[in-house]
Amino acid sequence: MTHIAKKTVDSSRIREILDGKKARMKTCLQACAACSLCADSCFMFNGKDGDPQYMPSYKVIKTLGRLYRKRGNVSRAELERMQQLLWRNCVLCGRCYCPFGIDIPNMIAFARGILRSQGIYGVFPHTSGSTEAELQ
Amino acid sequence: MVIAEIKPLDEIKQLLGGYRKVLNTGCGGCTSVCLAGGQKEVDILNTKLSLSFKAENVPFEIDGFTVERQCEIQFISELDRMVGKYDAILSMACGAGVQFLAERYPDKPVFPGVNSTFVGVNKDIGWYEERCKCCGDCVLGFTGGICPVSMCAKSLFNGPCGGPQGESCEVSKDIPCAWVAIHKRLKAQNRLDNIKAIHGPREWRDQVQGRIILEPYKARYVKNTE
Repeated sequence: MTHIAKKTVDSSRIREILDGKKARMKTCLQACAACSLCADSCFMFNGKDGDPQYMPSYKVIKTLGRLYRKRGNVSRAELERMQQLLWRNCVLCGRCYCPFGIDIPNMIAFARGILRSQGIYGVFPHTSGSTEAELQ
Repeated sequence: MVIAEIKPLDEIKQLLGGYRKVLNTGCGGCTSVCLAGGQKEVDILNTKLSLSFKAENVPFEIDGFTVERQCEIQFISELDRMVGKYDAILSMACGAGVQFLAERYPDKPVFPGVNSTFVGVNKDIGWYEERCKCCGDCVLGFTGGICPVSMCAKSLFNGPCGGPQGESCEVSKDIPCAWVAIHKRLKAQNRLDNIKAIHGPREWRDQVQGRIILEPYKARYVKNTE
């Protein structure tokens, strides 16, 4: 469940959330063959001249994958970097395609939920007072 | 996007009266962007409700959980594993999201935490303006990209009426006349012919539940939906 914005990281809470979807998440992370076909289906990746940080698999592995591998023992700075990948680099349009059937949007949504549990929310340029250019 | 406003606290309290354990569900879509129903607003509202009920010695527990979009089944299904623990659900999504939750969990009372107000734009931080009534018969092509249905007080398709006061609407001098604006823009684009022809009235009586199934998907859904 949610907590008012915190400065520390509640690793045990992250582990608890991860465990709630462990089997599915593990299957998804293990099934990724780094084929990069998901990148072709991502309009943000294509719109950013193929910047790998917009590749759907990259976004999942560098966020959820990292949280899982480190069992939630991450710093707040790391979570804030993940925030950029999960919100700025993904609009969750649900169009990403995986030939192995990995439900990438579901994994992104799951990772977002974990960040929210730590008081880290979406980045919207108009609400943060930052322009798109400043966020680059 | 859909613009919404948080309901007054007293109204929400009245809706939740009698329920001891409530799940407040935020929406990461439109209502999150317009600062009405995202995770932050869920957290703030939960704190306010808890304090308020506590001050009245009313037993009350509330948790929050935000799904990406309450108008998509793949995201609201995240709630399946948790709704069973609660007596009621408060939804911070637009009316579509509230109804989608109520449909998925018919045994649970689902209450709205926000008022969906209009389809609009972000003019600036915290400043939203209506731009579309979703009338289903878009005329922007001949009105210079200014919607007379949402911007004109009378929603006239052939304007202006006899009431404009200069460039203002007769309703208020602070409201610009949509048809004066349409005329100015079309004149600047040398397209005044666009509004010289009379446009027939819209069939406003044809108000049925909206449904669009894209052509490539008709084979999949039509026999189930019609």
